[in-house]
Amino acid sequence: MKHFAEEDLIAYQLHESSNETAIRKHLEECAECAAVSESIAETLRVFSAEPVPQLDLEHNWQRLRGNLSILSVERSKPKWFGFRWLAWPAIGLAMATFLVVVFVALHGHHLVKTRPNLAINGHGPLTTEPSDPAVADHLDAAERLLTEVNNTQGPLDETTREQAHNLLLKNAVYVHTARQSGDVAQAAVLENLGRVLTTLDNEPETSHGTWRLRLEMNTSGLLLDIRILRQNDDQNQGATQ
Amino acid sequence: MDRAETEAIREILGGNRDAYRVLMDRHFSSVARVAFRITGNEEDAEEATQEAFLRAYNKLHSFRQDSAFSTWIIRIAMNTAINIVERRKRDLSYRAPRIADEPSEAEGTVRVADQQAGPESELLGREAATLRETAMEELTPMERAAFTMRHMEEVPMAEIAEALHITVNSAKQAVFRAVAKLRRSLAPLAGGVR
Repeated sequence: MKHFAEEDLIAYQLHESSNETAIRKHLEECAECAAVSESIAETLRVFSAEPVPQLDLEHNWQRLRGNLSILSVERSKPKWFGFRWLAWPAIGLAMATFLVVVFVALHGHHLVKTRPNLAINGHGPLTTEPSDPAVADHLDAAERLLTEVNNTQGPLDETTREQAHNLLLKNAVYVHTARQSGDVAQAAVLENLGRVLTTLDNEPETSHGTWRLRLEMNTSGLLLDIRILRQNDDQNQGATQ
Repeated sequence: MDRAETEAIREILGGNRDAYRVLMDRHFSSVARVAFRITGNEEDAEEATQEAFLRAYNKLHSFRQDSAFSTWIIRIAMNTAINIVERRKRDLSYRAPRIADEPSEAEGTVRVADQQAGPESELLGREAATLRETAMEELTPMERAAFTMRHMEEVPMAEIAEALHITVNSAKQAVFRAVAKLRRSLAPLAGGVR
């Protein structure tokens, strides 16, 4: 007797099989396949839906709202749309502008690049992302440390303290670099991170110090800011339609 | 998409960010639910929900209003939650101790502690829950997402495939692999895989 593969029986139990009638008939006759099929059904029963905890909508809205930018009004059709006689001069002007841009791109390496101040720490969105891999690694390490500290009770161990201290030293360099390159949004997040790392670095030995309260207050928005800042381009991560 | 949502999106794109509350009121629970199914814990689910709504807001310009906002935001939530699971897995792989029957300092393993002695059924229940969690952790984020969406939320394969940017056949294979892995993980409870 030809047996069905496990995959076929899983598809059957999930009602995804195109061969349902034949499998059902086979299971009535084959004890071996029936046992496997029952084992699959049992697995699905064990992993059946459990209740989902209710998250606090109001709390989440307030937390999210601080990171929402004011979106601009959709661009309307230009008012000079009908003036076709302007087309050639406009094309000429565009060409000249293009040449200037190309010239600046080729010869303007020394110019300080500035980026728009899109966000300052919880008061607006972070739509920029770190272009320097070293900064991305630094934010990654900081995120892990803060997540761990946030989920830890009692005083910090020696390793965590050392990590916080090392991150604090590096952070000062990255803040300086971000400011110099005009990336105000990144500088703001790094400065906030620096304050939290300073709190950790100077943490008292007692487990119930006020430092933890201060830390919790400071890290609530910071973690989200860090994640947004270092996240990869959304378009590559499935947020496209 | 109904008129209230269309109007809300128009207002948001016109500069009224508070109009986003309308969309959040309507879709928060379903997004949080999907995020919880995929991440498996409340903290990460909340983080994924926040990120999903923020991403959707920032990409609202590109949302085609001939499709449902609910489908779009759920798709974003699934991907965000998968990213968080991947991030956690990566962090744990070199940071967290592994679970073993006998703790070993040399191998960096620990045993799951029995925190309280109770009736036998309660103990068995806790052990079963631990086994379930451990089994789920064996799945890849993609398998976990596909399995929970298909089996627990009863989302059609075509929607899962679209959300995860894979073919329907790949989505099915991910679900089947997940079930096979889970069945093997449960073998100690069932007395061995047949």
